[in-house]
Amino acid sequence: MERVRTIARRSFLVGSAAVLGGVAFGTYLYKREVENPLLDQLAPGEVAFNPYVMIDADGITLITPRADVGQGAYSVQAHLIAEELDVDVSQVRLDPGPPAAAYYNHVVAAEGMPIAAVSDSFFAQAGRGAADVAGKLLGLQLTGGSSTVPDMYDRLREAGAMARETLVAAAMAQTGMARDQLETGDGAVNLPDGSRLSYVGLAAAAAALEPVQDTPLRRPSEWRQLGQAHQRSDIVPKSTGTQDYGIDMQMDGLVHATTRTNPARGGGMRGYDAAEAEKMRGVQAILPIREGIAVVADNTWRAFQAADAVNCDWGDSPYIGETEGQIAALNASFAKDQQDSQFRDDGDVEAALGDGEVVEAAYQIPYLAHAPLEPMSVVVKLGAGRLDIWTGTQIPRFMQVNAAKLAGLEAEQVYVHVLMSGGSFGRRLEDDYVLQAVEIAQQMPDVPIKMTWSREEDFTHDFPRPMQLARARGKVAQGEVTAFDLGIAATSVTESSLGRLGQPAMGPDVAIVAGAWDQPFAIPDYRVTGYRAPAMVPVSSWRSVGASGNGFLHESFMDELCHAAGADPLQERLRLCSHDVSRKVLETVGEMSGWGGDLGPRRGRGVAFVLAFGVPVAQVVEVTDTDDGIRIDRVFVAADVGRILDPVNFEAQVTGGVIWGLGHAMNCGLTYEAGVPQQDNYHAFEGMRLYQTPEITVRGLENGEKIRGIGEPGVPPAAPALANAIFDATGQRIREMPFDKHVRFV
Amino acid sequence: MKLNVNGKNHEVDVEDDMPLLWVLRDELGITGPKYGCGIGQCGACTVHIDGIAVRSCQLAAADVDGDVTTIEGLGTPQSMHAVQAAWVDHQVAQCGYCQSGQIMQAASFLDLNPDPSDDQIDAAMSGNLCRCGTYPRIRAAVKTAASKLQGA
Amino acid sequence: MRYAIALMVLASPLAAQDTATRAEGLQAWDQIFAVTSHPRCTNCHVAEDRPMWEGLGYGAGAVHGMYVRADESRIGAETMPCRTCHVTSDAANIVSHAPPHIDDAWRLPPAELAWLGKSSAEVCVQLRDPETNDGSDIPDLIDHVQTSAFVSWGFTPGAGRSAPDGTVADLARELAIWGAADTPCR
Repeated sequence: MERVRTIARRSFLVGSAAVLGGVAFGTYLYKREVENPLLDQLAPGEVAFNPYVMIDADGITLITPRADVGQGAYSVQAHLIAEELDVDVSQVRLDPGPPAAAYYNHVVAAEGMPIAAVSDSFFAQAGRGAADVAGKLLGLQLTGGSSTVPDMYDRLREAGAMARETLVAAAMAQTGMARDQLETGDGAVNLPDGSRLSYVGLAAAAAALEPVQDTPLRRPSEWRQLGQAHQRSDIVPKSTGTQDYGIDMQMDGLVHATTRTNPARGGGMRGYDAAEAEKMRGVQAILPIREGIAVVADNTWRAFQAADAVNCDWGDSPYIGETEGQIAALNASFAKDQQDSQFRDDGDVEAALGDGEVVEAAYQIPYLAHAPLEPMSVVVKLGAGRLDIWTGTQIPRFMQVNAAKLAGLEAEQVYVHVLMSGGSFGRRLEDDYVLQAVEIAQQMPDVPIKMTWSREEDFTHDFPRPMQLARARGKVAQGEVTAFDLGIAATSVTESSLGRLGQPAMGPDVAIVAGAWDQPFAIPDYRVTGYRAPAMVPVSSWRSVGASGNGFLHESFMDELCHAAGADPLQERLRLCSHDVSRKVLETVGEMSGWGGDLGPRRGRGVAFVLAFGVPVAQVVEVTDTDDGIRIDRVFVAADVGRILDPVNFEAQVTGGVIWGLGHAMNCGLTYEAGVPQQDNYHAFEGMRLYQTPEITVRGLENGEKIRGIGEPGVPPAAPALANAIFDATGQRIREMPFDKHVRFV
Repeated sequence: MKLNVNGKNHEVDVEDDMPLLWVLRDELGITGPKYGCGIGQCGACTVHIDGIAVRSCQLAAADVDGDVTTIEGLGTPQSMHAVQAAWVDHQVAQCGYCQSGQIMQAASFLDLNPDPSDDQIDAAMSGNLCRCGTYPRIRAAVKTAASKLQGA
Repeated sequence: MRYAIALMVLASPLAAQDTATRAEGLQAWDQIFAVTSHPRCTNCHVAEDRPMWEGLGYGAGAVHGMYVRADESRIGAETMPCRTCHVTSDAANIVSHAPPHIDDAWRLPPAELAWLGKSSAEVCVQLRDPETNDGSDIPDLIDHVQTSAFVSWGFTPGAGRSAPDGTVADLARELAIWGAADTPCR
């Protein structure tokens, strides 16, 4: 209880800081009904029941405001609405909608608060409420933090129910029938005689009625659509080359552009010589932009060629530009005055480690690029008093505001058209590439401009996840882990990325320790300390954010302590586990993998468990130490999201997360010279390929009280489970990523 | 120069060394083939030249020596190729950006080797990167497509 | 004497076959072996069906990425054909880490012509015997060296790839001397 109070007091400081920022706007802003953005755009004859459903003469449109970056968000959002609305998702239009404050994300702001996901104390609830206020005030329309499902679960179903019942009310008025005579299905109200009144036909009448509120939602046992596998709404276009991504946008008069800016971001450009490039075929303009140049041409390849031919004189890196210096800066950050947080401080770690034999280890994790396969690209067109932006994005509202500021427009004059993204993994939480295109448009108004980065530009201008160092100490006694002390040093992602969005980041950065401080283990003397390194390379969120690295740190050291204690790594975690839902996940993965059974010569297995985004995930990795290197044979995963809305998509997200985690652990890392990342294409940042892919078995559990998202939680346990398996097979303990610095992989 | 793409003849006025990928995308508006890396590391740009899978970012326009088929020419939403149908059945795609290339690679592979072993599937499909990690379903879909094509 | 032979080779390779000592032949062989044992050559002259990737920063002993197989066809026809990435083009190779191309269909030499991991004596015996050198006599070998797009590319692979010392002409000349000395092996 004392610990809860300690956490809560600190939470309150952070929460109230963010709330203080909001109070300046007044609580009135918060209390006021959030505007309905669709009402602005309705043509005569259209009616919007709420921001998530629109019905007009052409049919029914469901608004799915969270971005689809491959995780199936459009489909899951559509099915949440359709479950209550009673429409067939394949028969309606899906639209991501315009950027609008009404689409703020309640949940993701709360993930920045230091409240363990398993804590349901009053203080934790209060802290989440404070983040909710902040989220609204910031207009935080954001896709990330595995928040889409938890954030939208009730909202979208309520919207669907409200829409359905209002349409039924219109049908009741039209037919004079009672509610219990009418049923709904397939986009229509069905009458007892078998005839149908389509929603489209009822829409105008429904618009004149007060929306029907407070309709009880169907219980899961009554679900008609949710909980079952559905064909993804985008699966046919994505299997036939007919899905248009931002990079595929076409329109009359389109010109093709690319940019080259200082790869030591923030270093600026002293000057440039474009004499050769200007003479190249198809080049229409070479324009100065912030930190570099843009080339406008009649073909993307010609723009690439010309951009390469411009001689740019870059300024020096404004941050420590060499990997060795960056490591030194992180090492220097393990100091009392750079302590950022200590959300976990159970027992008396100092006393426990004061005498006797102490287990010590140091770990290192590199910068990692997102490198989605679709490079950053956008189409913009700037006319008089109007800017249009077509692109894939996780932050349409921020983008709208920032582009308006740059172009000297009101936010309402900026139209963000959200297109499908060819991956993101957090990269499209930034709008830097869009602002570059706006700069081009300012020098070339009234022309639609498609700006595409080369892969090399994309790699060298990513905002990677930060490098991390960790120092761990611990103790074992009588076959048990008794003390665990983990210090983690990293640059603050929150400060870096919110700073670019023009938002302050106050208080400690939970991302530095997320996935480490908040794990459900009752170790008697247990401490996790975050140290904030100075800002260096500008960094951002990367699939599973803080937990992406901290899972490796926590679970590698946990494994080391288990081995030091002579304890079984799974049994010892089970013994220490203080959270029933998590314990069940660990037990399940043990059963699935046949934990404890003999694997045969040169083989090994490792377990890891991470609770992140409220989802406990346990993984067992099996490897063989072959003559050609380490081969990853099988992976078993158990995860609990409370409720699974689509088992096929759930499996895809978990499997993809495992492959993401394993692939980067195997062979990826950015190193720097003079501020420039040295890995500029996939040959040097490969990740996993198909032949290396293990057999992955996933089991989803539904014991958790709250519904959670699954886009990210599959990632964090993969790397430590692999390292622990390699140790089991070879006796070699790997404490540095990427692992191929130490072992060879098949 | 002349190009035959998806059964249609085109006359294009481009440099000899412009990669086929950019002729298709920016000159002809055929955007199924994707730009991912430009150096033959990812396979997102894969098309067929006389039925053989080729990375269109590596093939200069002047070196095209046969008929070009892109994903749009392999099958359509209304009439899918067996490989595309298998991709739908297995719900392979996540972001989907690499899948045009994956499908073109698989279709050409199964044309040359209709009854592949698991190891041959791994070898045939490992030149195509997928950042989302759809590999297990790609494996399964290739097997489904192989048996469907053999039955046909 | 040696200079004279070189001139004769350039004028007419076939005319150079009757004058060279064993010592000169062995010396020539050493030059030939320096080429055949270079990663630029051994990357493809492999006995197994996995080509190698040495000489562009991938490290010693690195096999070709992407699980590439040459297969029995030696052109990857059973899995992924070489030409999927290695297109046929006479353009210069200027992009590092892109698949190199030549003005010929990319393929592996027959497995009998494996050089990777073979000693000087093993390669020497292999190359002088038509049974194991693809049915070639010395003039055939010289002709191959002088006309093959692979050999030409091997000396000028471009884009930061390492290459054996010398030129195509040097190699042809050494072959002629080695042949004239009756193909001695160490």
